Amino acid sequence: MKRLLLMALVPILLSITAWGQTERVISGKVTSSDDGLGLPGVNVVVQGTAKGVTTDAEGSYTIQLAEGENVLVFTFVGYKTTTVDVTNKTTADVILEGDVTSLEEVVVVGYGTQREKDLTSAISTIKTDDIVRTPTGQAMQSLQGKVPGLQIVSSGQPGASPTVRVRGLGSYPRTDVVTGAPLGTESPLYVVDGMFFDNIDFLNTADIASISVLKDASAAAIYGVRAANGVILIETKTGKFKQKAQITYDGYYGVQVAQNVLKMANAEQFTNMALESGSASDIANIDAAMQRYGRSRVNPNVPDVNTDWYEEVIRTAPIQNHTLGVTGGGENTTYSIGASYFNQDGIMDMPNSFERFTMRSRIDYQANDWLKIGGNVNISNALKTGQDEVVLQNAEAWKVAYFAVPIMPVYDYENEAAYPVKYSSAELIGYRDGKNPLPIMDFNRNQTRQRRVLSNFYVKVDLLPDKLSFQTTYNLGATFQNARNVDLPYFLTNDAKNLISAIVKKNETTYNQIWDNVLTYNQEFGNHYLTVMAGASFRDESWEMLKARGEDLLTPFQEKSWYLRQANTIKTEDVDDDAARNYGMSYFGRVAYNFNDKYLLYGTMRADGTSKYQTKWGYFPSVGAGWVISEEEFMADIGALDFLKFRASWGRLGNDKITPQTGAVTQRVITTAIDGTLVTGRVKEPFGSLTWEVTEEWNVGLTARILNDRLSLDADYYVRDTEDLAIPVRTITGDTYLRSVGIVRNSGFELALNWTESFASGFSYNIGANLATLKNETRDLYGQPYIDGGTAEFQQRTRVGDPLFAFFGYETVGVYQNNAQIEADPVAVALNATTPGAIVPGDFIFKDNDGDGVITGEDRVILGSYLPKFTYGVNLGASFKNFDLAVNLMGQTGNKILNRKRGEIIWTPDGNMDADLAINRWHGEGTSNKYPSSAGLRKGWNQKMSNYFVEDGGFFRIQNVTLAYNLRGTTFGEQWPDTRIFVTAERPLTVFDYNGFNPEIPDGIDTQTYPIPAIYTVGLNVKF
Amino acid sequence: MKSIKNIITATLFICAMFAVTSCHDKLDEDLENTIYAGQTDYTITSNMIVPLLGAYGEFQDRGWEEFPVIAVRGDDVNAGGLGDQQDFAEEDRFNYNKDYWMFNSVWQNLYKDILAATSAVEEVTAYREFASDQALADQYIGEAKVLRAYLLLNLSRVWGAIPIPTSSDPTELLQVEPSTKDEVMQFISDEMEESIPALPAVRPNERTDIRGGVTRFTALAVQALANLELKNYQGVADATSEIISSNRFTLESDYYNLFKLKGKLNNENILELQYSDFGSASGDNKAYLFAFFGPESWEPKVAGAGGGWGFYEPSLKYIKFMLSRGETTRLQTSVLFTDRGIAEIQKDPAFATLPGWVSSTTPSGDKFNNYNRAMFASGKHYLPSDQLTPGRADYGTNKNFTVIRYAEILLMHAEALTQGASGSGMTADQAVNAVRSRAGLGTLSGVTTDQVMEEKFAELAMEWGVRYYDMVRLQRYDELSYEGRNFTEAKIFLPYPQAQLDLLPALAEN
Repeated sequence: MKRLLLMALVPILLSITAWGQTERVISGKVTSSDDGLGLPGVNVVVQGTAKGVTTDAEGSYTIQLAEGENVLVFTFVGYKTTTVDVTNKTTADVILEGDVTSLEEVVVVGYGTQREKDLTSAISTIKTDDIVRTPTGQAMQSLQGKVPGLQIVSSGQPGASPTVRVRGLGSYPRTDVVTGAPLGTESPLYVVDGMFFDNIDFLNTADIASISVLKDASAAAIYGVRAANGVILIETKTGKFKQKAQITYDGYYGVQVAQNVLKMANAEQFTNMALESGSASDIANIDAAMQRYGRSRVNPNVPDVNTDWYEEVIRTAPIQNHTLGVTGGGENTTYSIGASYFNQDGIMDMPNSFERFTMRSRIDYQANDWLKIGGNVNISNALKTGQDEVVLQNAEAWKVAYFAVPIMPVYDYENEAAYPVKYSSAELIGYRDGKNPLPIMDFNRNQTRQRRVLSNFYVKVDLLPDKLSFQTTYNLGATFQNARNVDLPYFLTNDAKNLISAIVKKNETTYNQIWDNVLTYNQEFGNHYLTVMAGASFRDESWEMLKARGEDLLTPFQEKSWYLRQANTIKTEDVDDDAARNYGMSYFGRVAYNFNDKYLLYGTMRADGTSKYQTKWGYFPSVGAGWVISEEEFMADIGALDFLKFRASWGRLGNDKITPQTGAVTQRVITTAIDGTLVTGRVKEPFGSLTWEVTEEWNVGLTARILNDRLSLDADYYVRDTEDLAIPVRTITGDTYLRSVGIVRNSGFELALNWTESFASGFSYNIGANLATLKNETRDLYGQPYIDGGTAEFQQRTRVGDPLFAFFGYETVGVYQNNAQIEADPVAVALNATTPGAIVPGDFIFKDNDGDGVITGEDRVILGSYLPKFTYGVNLGASFKNFDLAVNLMGQTGNKILNRKRGEIIWTPDGNMDADLAINRWHGEGTSNKYPSSAGLRKGWNQKMSNYFVEDGGFFRIQNVTLAYNLRGTTFGEQWPDTRIFVTAERPLTVFDYNGFNPEIPDGIDTQTYPIPAIYTVGLNVKF
Repeated sequence: MKSIKNIITATLFICAMFAVTSCHDKLDEDLENTIYAGQTDYTITSNMIVPLLGAYGEFQDRGWEEFPVIAVRGDDVNAGGLGDQQDFAEEDRFNYNKDYWMFNSVWQNLYKDILAATSAVEEVTAYREFASDQALADQYIGEAKVLRAYLLLNLSRVWGAIPIPTSSDPTELLQVEPSTKDEVMQFISDEMEESIPALPAVRPNERTDIRGGVTRFTALAVQALANLELKNYQGVADATSEIISSNRFTLESDYYNLFKLKGKLNNENILELQYSDFGSASGDNKAYLFAFFGPESWEPKVAGAGGGWGFYEPSLKYIKFMLSRGETTRLQTSVLFTDRGIAEIQKDPAFATLPGWVSSTTPSGDKFNNYNRAMFASGKHYLPSDQLTPGRADYGTNKNFTVIRYAEILLMHAEALTQGASGSGMTADQAVNAVRSRAGLGTLSGVTTDQVMEEKFAELAMEWGVRYYDMVRLQRYDELSYEGRNFTEAKIFLPYPQAQLDLLPALAEN
């Protein structure tokens, strides 16, 4: 798109032909530093004159110079102006550097484009170079730490998308009622070449030209009801007119290495904990382990086994991506065709991987001077293994590896009954279940195949040349997902077995269509520039699912027989289908007005109709204004300041990702056994009546370019109020239903600074820094003081004045060290009086916040939120001659993590625990004021939700280090293809205090997340 | 050229706008795969049974944690599972933690099913208007009310004062003031009184539409239980007399197998939770999670049969009580021994010599190994491995869970009469002796309340906390203060779960 506009500008900039006396001729080729290709249309002017030429389609030029004309100035929109001394030269090849800070740059906004200079809203754009540096299958991952106000929470699971939050949390995070899996209702809208998506895991990162984050309401409001969580616009690569075909290979290969592996208690520490637990059965289990596996020669009171289960389940895993593309264009056509292959194995040592093959083709054709047509098809075929798409759960194995007891070996050949592998089972030494993750890894075969097609076709008609155009676009996003889970039969012990093999197949089809019709009008009169856009859009989103379960496979170990008919029984109760179909109808418009590049006015309006709720129509306006103060006369003298613009905007956005509501009582089907027959009944369901959430946002900001454009600065402050917040209200039955009952405010300050400098020696560097603050505050719950969420045991409370879903519980202030301390504390004395021995040394001291002498529910306080209050990123770049280096750093503070793995002890206390807890437990006066005793850990008193379970989630990370070498040269007069060789270290270092594997937990509740590995790659980029 | 272009564009544009606008009516489409209750055609009265089956479905779908919370506090049974579920063991010792997840879960699930039954009452009432057989509608309503009443009874026995739902809308419960336990019991008794005439006077297993479902006698049994809680012994006797006089129920002669497959829809059963694997080795299986009661280690007669978690351990007090009485049938049925448990009994000089039948191998041939969690397991919640459907391995799967049986009615009857009520059908002696003779014991005459309570202890141990609620009602706190426990009046009810106090501030006033 950018190129198209540039082409249009070229004629205006065309200069006059040479004149006067000819002394000499100089020629050369102008290429772009971006891609090494010839740049057509570059203005080549003799310094101090109006004399000049433009480069041809190949980027070549020839200019005649008069005596004394020794300096040429090369200018081209979007590139840095370059001055070359051509004294005594007859040829001068010039490489133009892309000018990323250029305000002339065209930015994609919804249903159109705008010059960055003209923006009144907060939009951050990331270009392909910054995207491809991150070795990942998930494009959004590469934005981590680069855009202030955009929080990316990574996932280590191959093929899993990161959690993305734009400017805090404006919607209540919801999870699937049955599986607890996040529904992503708070995730932003992705618009890929005009089509709406909920995630972009199907896109090859190297195919993306740019990602624009529309952060504020003024920018996003054009997407109305889908915009409240922020909008992310993605443009895929296109060809250019009059461009020679360019063949590109882009690829890397690397390894993923587990980072910050959590240190678990070893056999000795675990044995100590068990012996001090006061639990006869746990002590007996230790004895049983010593009988079965012998006594350690080092410490004869410890079993002679010391299994590090993480070591058993983790591997170093490969990751690779290869992209091949051809782009180019003729007089009337541009094309971009390519294919890619991505493969990533998970670091869990079992079949778990993400493999993706994509193909794309994008062709635009200028049929005549008023008609343009084009089509874009992107096909993606991905296979995920080792994760359960049927019930949306991660491999259970990570969880079991955490709790697996270290006093047990991986294999136990004495266990005669075990088949098909003689794995050990903790049941053999007295535990309730197997506590061995290996069978879970071995005897589940889950995979999901996901085939996606994204496609757009458009017809654009210029009604009045360069003024009025009409475009109609049909967009299609189709996803075909086939999941297959197989549980293989195995037996270790009675409670670690799966006797009946099973297969579940689940097929889903998502077929979303959008039909957009847009009229665009540009007018320019004097110093007034006006753009008006109006459009209508129809949306049809459909989803269908069919699922069945077969049990007792005839040949369970033959993969080719994993089909339903190969099972003895089809479980009728698990045969299920479902569907959803939602329609949307929208009208929208935009007016952008610019007076003399000094005063900017901007307004959008969208009316959205939906079939999802009882309220059918919503209206989403926005306005924005900008004042380019540097254009004012009185600012003309401030030399260092090249550009300064103040911006302000306001807008309303909607969120319709909330579950569609019936607005009526519905019924649910239930089956039961009556006299040995399966019968079906129905039960009424409570209902919620909802409308979409509406977010209202103010944004003020400034954009500045200082010191010859070397320093750029963007600062924004926003206040974002989400009204009609749909909140799950817990009922007495434990069910929850949604009510539109809240207002939540997100507010924050964002700053992005960039400094670039180049030296004649060929050295250049840039330093960028960004930071964002976030305050998430519940403003109103329609009169209620609070609404409870989370589970009953690990409560989260949304209270007016505090963040959404804040952790809520008791405050520990230490651990009782001795009886004297207990006797001095009225709380403990009172409790011991009614229940002797209720409090003993080694138990937590809780803070009696209401001072009534007893610890009751009234003493609970807000313990913190999982949303970081402060996030920052630093980007460093340097290049010298053929080398360039880029370093990204990022971090966050102010968020909390609920260590639910430690919390699991309230249900099952006999599993292993992290070494920090085992070593630093209280085990006598003065040993710990932080953790209770081993016996104390098992007591209800100490198991209350408290700040013991809620830990600091801040971290600092070296996100990415990339060092590249660019090969340039000739052999036998032939120019080498542009070749770039690079090495990358992704996340080589993360620093944090949290007692877990990784501090990136999307909802702050760490039950068991897939650890996020460090990745080291080598890559190659060749252009022919 | 220009004009052609304009015509083409104008047509395209107008068509597009027109087509787009015509999509407006799509916005009124209903959601897919949704059963709108409001669209129910209540004139199709053949569907009237559907909401009732929904209520049965919820009633029979019981979480594993519910029964233990209701039943563990008596002197017949201990928590077992030491080292696991500490707060469950604490409940057994009358130290209650209101933050404990099991308490909250039980509360929530009971209410959920109470509301499901209430919803069935509402739905059937809507059909009733169009039903040709209005008596059938009344019967269904009555059935749902009986299911609801039994759940309310348990809820109130555990927590005392509780809110009684007025409709199936859970939000309404937030406004309802809690009723005292006596009010709840009176509510149950009145509701049963109202439902009894509409219900068929047959044994549950005599029903043909919903075999094993609720009948008039189930309602009478629940009414008797509520009146027992109220100490309205005449109310108890009136209800039990009617059940006994119907002559429909008999005591199963094979006490051991009453709690096995043979007990399914037995002539002794008045209310039971039905489960089934439908006779197939794989595929559908509606089951209760009996693994809770199972041994952690055993050598089942049928290899591969799954064990359990080692909770719910019959108390030494109960075992010694039974041994002292010379009981065989009921002790052998109620208690499964391990060698460690047998040795523990023998530590008491009075029981150094045990009858020859006391063994860690059950009469069905399953051997219970020693395991750390418990010394004994509950035999009434055990299905011998050779009674499992071949191919199935889960402990106790395909077994029903008996809730109320005729023996309890007989003993309630006897107690009410010894407490001074008058009744018909049987005398107190006859009722007690009927139970005793089935257990192979001699007859008594002139039974006292104490003797009835001993008989209840022997007969109904491990079943639904009968013993605990009896001892609480009779204020025999000394019986509950056994094996190091100290029971006081303040310990009768569990504290309201913290999550519920947060939700319903009105509870805090109780």
